[in-house]
Amino acid sequence: MEAQGGAPAVVERDGRRLMKINMGPQHPSTHGVLRLIVTLDGEVVVGVEPDIGFLHRNFEKIVEGWSYPGIVPFSDRNDYLGAITNEVAVCLAIERLAQIEVPPRAVYLRVLFCELQRILSHILFYGTFGLDLGAFSPFMYAFREREWGYTLMEKATGARMLYAYNRIGGLRNDLPDEWFADLEKFLVFMERQAWPEYMGLLIENEIFRERTIGVGKLTPEQAIAWGASGPVLRSTGVAWDLRKAAPYLGYERFEFDVPVGKNGDTYDSAMVRMLEIKESIRIIRQVLKMLPDGPVLARVRPNLRPRAGEYYSRVESPRGEVGVYLVSDGSARPYRLKWRAPSFCHLQLVPAMGGGGKVADLIAAVGSLDVIMGEVDR
Amino acid sequence: MNIYLAALLKVVGVLAFVLGNAFILIWAERKISGYMQRRYGPLRVGGPAGLLQSAADILKLMAKEDFVPGGADLWLWWLAPAVALVPAVLVYLVLPIGRSFVLQNLSIGLVFFASVTSFTLIGIFMAGWGSNNKYSLLGAMRAGAQLFSYEIPLILSTIGVVMLTGSLTLQRIVAAQANVWFVVPQIVGFLVFYVASLAELNRTPFDLAEAESELIAGYFTEYSGIRWAMFAVAEYSNLFTTSALAVTLFLGGWRPLPLLAFIPGWVWFVLKTYVLVFVGIWIRWTLPRVRIDQLMDLGWKFLFPVSVANVLVTALVLAVR
Amino acid sequence: MALWDRVWQTGKSMVVGHAITMREMLHKPVTVRYPEEKPPFERGSRSVPVLKVNEESGRLNCVSCGLCERACPPSCIEITQAMDEKGRKKPWPETFQLDLSHCMVCNLCVEACPFDALEMADVVELGSYQVQDLILQKGQLAEIWKTSRALRVAGGERL
Repeated sequence: MEAQGGAPAVVERDGRRLMKINMGPQHPSTHGVLRLIVTLDGEVVVGVEPDIGFLHRNFEKIVEGWSYPGIVPFSDRNDYLGAITNEVAVCLAIERLAQIEVPPRAVYLRVLFCELQRILSHILFYGTFGLDLGAFSPFMYAFREREWGYTLMEKATGARMLYAYNRIGGLRNDLPDEWFADLEKFLVFMERQAWPEYMGLLIENEIFRERTIGVGKLTPEQAIAWGASGPVLRSTGVAWDLRKAAPYLGYERFEFDVPVGKNGDTYDSAMVRMLEIKESIRIIRQVLKMLPDGPVLARVRPNLRPRAGEYYSRVESPRGEVGVYLVSDGSARPYRLKWRAPSFCHLQLVPAMGGGGKVADLIAAVGSLDVIMGEVDR
Repeated sequence: MNIYLAALLKVVGVLAFVLGNAFILIWAERKISGYMQRRYGPLRVGGPAGLLQSAADILKLMAKEDFVPGGADLWLWWLAPAVALVPAVLVYLVLPIGRSFVLQNLSIGLVFFASVTSFTLIGIFMAGWGSNNKYSLLGAMRAGAQLFSYEIPLILSTIGVVMLTGSLTLQRIVAAQANVWFVVPQIVGFLVFYVASLAELNRTPFDLAEAESELIAGYFTEYSGIRWAMFAVAEYSNLFTTSALAVTLFLGGWRPLPLLAFIPGWVWFVLKTYVLVFVGIWIRWTLPRVRIDQLMDLGWKFLFPVSVANVLVTALVLAVR
Repeated sequence: MALWDRVWQTGKSMVVGHAITMREMLHKPVTVRYPEEKPPFERGSRSVPVLKVNEESGRLNCVSCGLCERACPPSCIEITQAMDEKGRKKPWPETFQLDLSHCMVCNLCVEACPFDALEMADVVELGSYQVQDLILQKGQLAEIWKTSRALRVAGGERL
């Protein structure tokens, strides 16, 4: 068989006839516009090459021409499922360089929103991972809770997905009191009904366990060597969480556990995320107890000029370590901004995780990484 | 002349039923899956329940361009949907719908059913090969392995029933269930049959041949328009007929429940079949998909020995009695 | 026996899963049927910045100072100052255009405005088949402001 366009459909290697197949950028389970060039020996994956760049938006260069306040809303678009954590990462870097003191209420609220964002992102992970494995209903149930959570976000920030809520020096607006009651209802629902349902419907299902246990295995050494972070790294048993390891926003004040896996397979990485939902609920409860009164936004000059210097701020996003390396030359625009995206590092793991397995295992492996192409291509 | 007229009537009747059934089942599947996922499903075409959604879909599909991918094997490409659809229609010949309501009471009814349904595989394979698409090819290969493997437990699980009845005629099998439905003595056979039939029907959790998240749409990735519709109609027709066979073999066919005998037999038959179809839809929208090697494991290492054991135990009990 | 355990486990998880889907099926759908029923906008939801009109004089609040133009990160606002015949500046905009296709709804222009002339609307059905239609002029922006059920709390709140 000869493929249209000249590229050979079949390649010979070591006497085996291998098939090259293009997964993506238009494919149901490549989470956006990821392209995988897969070499197949029948059903067995022999080689995978991720090909990226289809969602490139030139973020890092564009913001060099923007003044600082504009960078925050644009950073939402990088990891659009962890928009708040992106904003926090940028704000932390700028605030550090401009030596702005953020009011305590804003710090606590940032923690709250980071954790709420983590819950929402992990809910979506649960849904899409189920979809990758062929179960459709979990996706719909996940969206039910997600819509609720996004409505909460909309009440607080004015937008459902790309919030533009953080400002340099705090948050844009304070929250109405009734919002906290709504949040509590959502948390109770997540804890009592949604979480057990997720576990019963998908995670504890025997077919799901068969499909994920032992699939896409990573050793801790491999994960560290490839720069993995977040749930992917923790699934291998490395208890590395920036909230514990390098606390920002005063995370050391809160009591929570870092769930870790044992085998580093896709099941563990799904399980770690499920447990993180619970831990995030725990943190939000503590925030609600400790939340101080006061303003949420510090006074900041409109034409902000941080002192010359550089700073690397990093936060634990739902996907892993989001890092912002900011170089300022003392002018109103950043000299350089480098974005460290966890999904970009995780994509490098795809050949290690998916190689040698079946096609279906490759899909499960890519799904368990929970990559966001907006963050990879930037 | 009369014979031909009768034959024509039968053919038209079956075709009308196949189409109408596909209409209802596609609508039902979308509606049930919708409500299972807290959605509404189709709503807008044909009244508030979207009853005419399937009709609108068929019209749309007929109006679509019949797209042929470059490099397709034209004969295989064109024939495949027909080859998939014909056996789906043919099996209605032997289904005992009522006490005396069967198109042709073949003495080899069960064997006829099993052999005709295995033609579907050829249609799928032709589609996969003829499309000149690697995803289709993978889907066809999976379908080949899967349908071939599950044919064996599927047939073995029915042998217990045949032994209890001593006949391959479906009408006789129903008649033999006057006292007790065969699902009671043959519960193992029934479960094996149902699981294997889900695999034969290419439905989740065994929908590997068209695994959406892996192979886009498997063997009919490249099909569009009315040819795609033929595959869909064949699929839903098979869903109905396989469930109908399960009803015939294990759930007493057209036999009514006690005290409700005033309802005619064919109503019972259709009702029971739709209950089984509902269970199939329910399973589809609950479970994730298995992997190809797990599918093979389940077929050869579990269902096959279990169905053989079922046959042996049945034989033993019959011999002792 | 390991096999029995697995069969038992499988069976149990199947029953649990199917019970969950059946339970969900017996509840009312949560879908909002969009064109017929529209989900309420939360207080403070924002879609696009629009121009406020002074209720008494019927004129725009905007004095064409250009602060929003400078605050807008993707530069989607373009203002030209009104001039009289003698070339003196007048305190209203000759043109004020907003390129919706670039706007990222960040609220920064509203925060920059010292004259309370801009506000985030909650009108979302602004889609169009032509990109040109997404460039809104001041008259259109004022029209949208009038139809918007002006929320004016969190989203439009001055900070």
